Amino acid sequence: MSGVTPGEGAGAGVPAEAYGVALSGLPGMGPIRLRRLLDALPPSAAWAEVVEGRAAWVVELEPERSTTDPAAVARRWSQEARLTDVGSLWAAHVDAGVRIAMRGGAGYPTVLAEDAEGPAVLFSLGDLDRAVELPAVGIIGSRRCTYYGREVARELGRELAAAGVAVVSGLAAGIDGAAHVGALEPEGGAPPVGVVGSGLDVVYPRRHAELWRRVAQRGVLLAEAPLGARPEAWRFPARNRIIATLARVLVVVEAHAQSGSTHTVNAADTRGRTILAVPGPVRSAASAGTNALIAEGAAGLLRDVRDVLAALGLQPAPPKRGSTARPRPSRDERAVLDAVGWQPASIDQVALRLGAPVGPVSLHLESLARDGWLRREGAWWERVP
Amino acid sequence: MLASIPSATLLGVEGNPVRVEVHVGKGLPAFTVVGLPDVSCREARDRVRAALDHTDGVEWPNRKIIVNLAPSDLKKAGSGLDLAIAVGVLVATGQLQPEQVEGAAFLGELGLDGTLRRVPGMVSLVDAVAEPTVVVPAGCASEAGLVGRHRVRAVSSLRQVVQALRGEAPWPDAPPAAPVPPGPPPPDLAEVRGHAVGRLALEVAAAGGHHLLMVGPPGAGKTMLASRLPGLLPPLDRTMALEATRVHSAAGLPLPPSGLVRRPPFRAPHHGASAVSLIGGGTYWMRPGEISIAHGGVLFLDELGEFAPHVLDALRQPLEDGVVRVARARASVTFPARFLLVAAMNPCPCGDGGGPGACRCSDAARARYERRLSGPILDRFDLRIELDRPEPADLLGGPAGEPSDVVAARVAAAREIALTRGVRANAELPASLLDEVVPLGPGAVLLLEDRIRRGELSPRGLARVRRVARTLADLQGGGPVTDEHVCTALALRVERTGLALAGVAS
Repeated sequence: MSGVTPGEGAGAGVPAEAYGVALSGLPGMGPIRLRRLLDALPPSAAWAEVVEGRAAWVVELEPERSTTDPAAVARRWSQEARLTDVGSLWAAHVDAGVRIAMRGGAGYPTVLAEDAEGPAVLFSLGDLDRAVELPAVGIIGSRRCTYYGREVARELGRELAAAGVAVVSGLAAGIDGAAHVGALEPEGGAPPVGVVGSGLDVVYPRRHAELWRRVAQRGVLLAEAPLGARPEAWRFPARNRIIATLARVLVVVEAHAQSGSTHTVNAADTRGRTILAVPGPVRSAASAGTNALIAEGAAGLLRDVRDVLAALGLQPAPPKRGSTARPRPSRDERAVLDAVGWQPASIDQVALRLGAPVGPVSLHLESLARDGWLRREGAWWERVP
Repeated sequence: MLASIPSATLLGVEGNPVRVEVHVGKGLPAFTVVGLPDVSCREARDRVRAALDHTDGVEWPNRKIIVNLAPSDLKKAGSGLDLAIAVGVLVATGQLQPEQVEGAAFLGELGLDGTLRRVPGMVSLVDAVAEPTVVVPAGCASEAGLVGRHRVRAVSSLRQVVQALRGEAPWPDAPPAAPVPPGPPPPDLAEVRGHAVGRLALEVAAAGGHHLLMVGPPGAGKTMLASRLPGLLPPLDRTMALEATRVHSAAGLPLPPSGLVRRPPFRAPHHGASAVSLIGGGTYWMRPGEISIAHGGVLFLDELGEFAPHVLDALRQPLEDGVVRVARARASVTFPARFLLVAAMNPCPCGDGGGPGACRCSDAARARYERRLSGPILDRFDLRIELDRPEPADLLGGPAGEPSDVVAARVAAAREIALTRGVRANAELPASLLDEVVPLGPGAVLLLEDRIRRGELSPRGLARVRRVARTLADLQGGGPVTDEHVCTALALRVERTGLALAGVAS
């Protein structure tokens, strides 16, 4: 390991955090390497080390570096770092209102500081201090979810936010997004926490742009990569450990047999967090993972929001209001409703189950949808509970 | 001496009359062909020379021979002028007398031993001939006879031609049409289990001429359903059959024993197909493409998402116009192309993305897959259904469905009704007629309004739904269109849903 040398090529008059920002933006600079670098050296010295191409030791320390050549990584960092203007990078973050907290520095959340794998540099947009004071529940699940999963996630998000619990999620498509949509619904609800796998200005998936904006406005957006960082695949499992750390209770709403949720569940498990899973139909692929978690005893079974609040040691929410009145279905409609069942069904399946022609079945399906008993998504019909 | 022999050449599916002028004169022995011949036409020199050498009773003149193919601004392609050139050489050298070939045109390719071979496009070639007699290769007799204006002489070798022209032997009888064993019976709808929606969609597509897109995982039965569609279509009427026969003949495809293509063709090009192979064209010989060969029948594009986007977009104009105009620097031709487009695709790259939550593809992969189909192409499909693998109970124990001939009878009746409105099928109903032919009840108006407000129905889509509703009513006897028909038409036109499923649609 080389000694501490004054930084070369560094912009004058920038705080130490600026070097942390620059370091975290280097290609292939994962959270572990960044931690190793910043644990050994102060930020400006670490930057100088990288600029001069002397940082190969960061990679050499890795036990399973079978394919990476440390010298090549150090060379690449050095090339990239020489092209980086630390001062203007820092200015860009200041201008965008991004707050930067270094591990061990001021404003770094206690819950992350206590964790062995807390990010070395934390980027936030919104009110971080208020959000991390509250009890937090992570809601995660499949990006390709069913209507059932989406509605459960949304309902949990809404009721937890109303009960003063911060909803932590990844702002991904599917369950993640639905949980935050729900958490934003109650007026004056607890601030949501979105932990993203890219730079705070790189909205992914792009159609969640509005959701990102609203989460940052009402709560806080967190990332461990600087502005402009692409949503590379490796960032998401890394992001998941932050969700697992922040959340006192982790709720898995829907997960396929092998899914990204596994990372978060494992991370939460090692941290001793309570894990709850929402059961689903045994034939639903989107619930295979959650059902397995329950069956293997890895997760508790979640019936409704009261189970989550009990796990947090909070008062149960006030009793649920009765569902709104819907016109009673006619006899034929009742048969169609039964044929749809509780899993998404296509009109083809409904017609064959009833042995009825497609025409009348389509008419009944439409009228049931109008009365609020069914919901259509493309070719698929799902029952509204 | 000089000879002038009538013949014809093919451009696209049209025959063009050609006069083969042969001059045999003094000079060093040589044989030149002028008048825009293409390569296969130029090679006629060697074939004709060898054929004359191998035919008894005639001999090759060792003199200077010039062959001119008139009109000289028309590009001549193919080997169909061989026979006319050979006969011209014989007349010009006095081995045949001009009055012996008077009033006859000659078509066909020569082999080196003097046998006469068939050439594609015989129907159109014969049609282009003004002379009362036409000499064609044996085996083309029924094809040549379709035109009906000529005395057709079918011969199998140059020797036979020479002998018959000299009067040494009678013209051979047309060989009896080779007994073609009846092909396997077309697949029947009765074998299809389950698939209530799939069956209905086929019936509607056949009755109304509505283009059909089937989306479903591998093994759902998309190809199986599509292959049963031609069995539901009525046989081609005389005009359509003649057009189809000319295309098939020009494409060099085998024709049915009667000579006339009566059964609706079924074409299923692989998704690697180039634009030219699908649309038609080519450098020398403008060959009809798959869409023209499917004229009057079904063009089935399996794995629609795998076709090159520019190839699919090339289908848009023929889908609208029923003909395709192919223009090249030297020539431009029009092919008939009125076909029923049936397409199948997987819902996503992994193929399992049927129901919500079943797919394992990333959003980006799905979005890329869906972008392969341009909106305008998707819009051409009146019927878009999602198929799922049938449930095991339907597959094994379910009742057998209606057989094809029962459905075909309903289809024929519905087509009769459409004819009374002045269209071949309801898909062709002009927008101006829709309010009169497809009035909407209050329930249907509410339903359609809702779909339009949700962005699930475009104005063009609305017109298509109404046409499909009309076809549904016609299949039930032609009464007024009810809310049920509109509901069903909407159920048969599903908006592609992949991205909506993944998003936080609320």
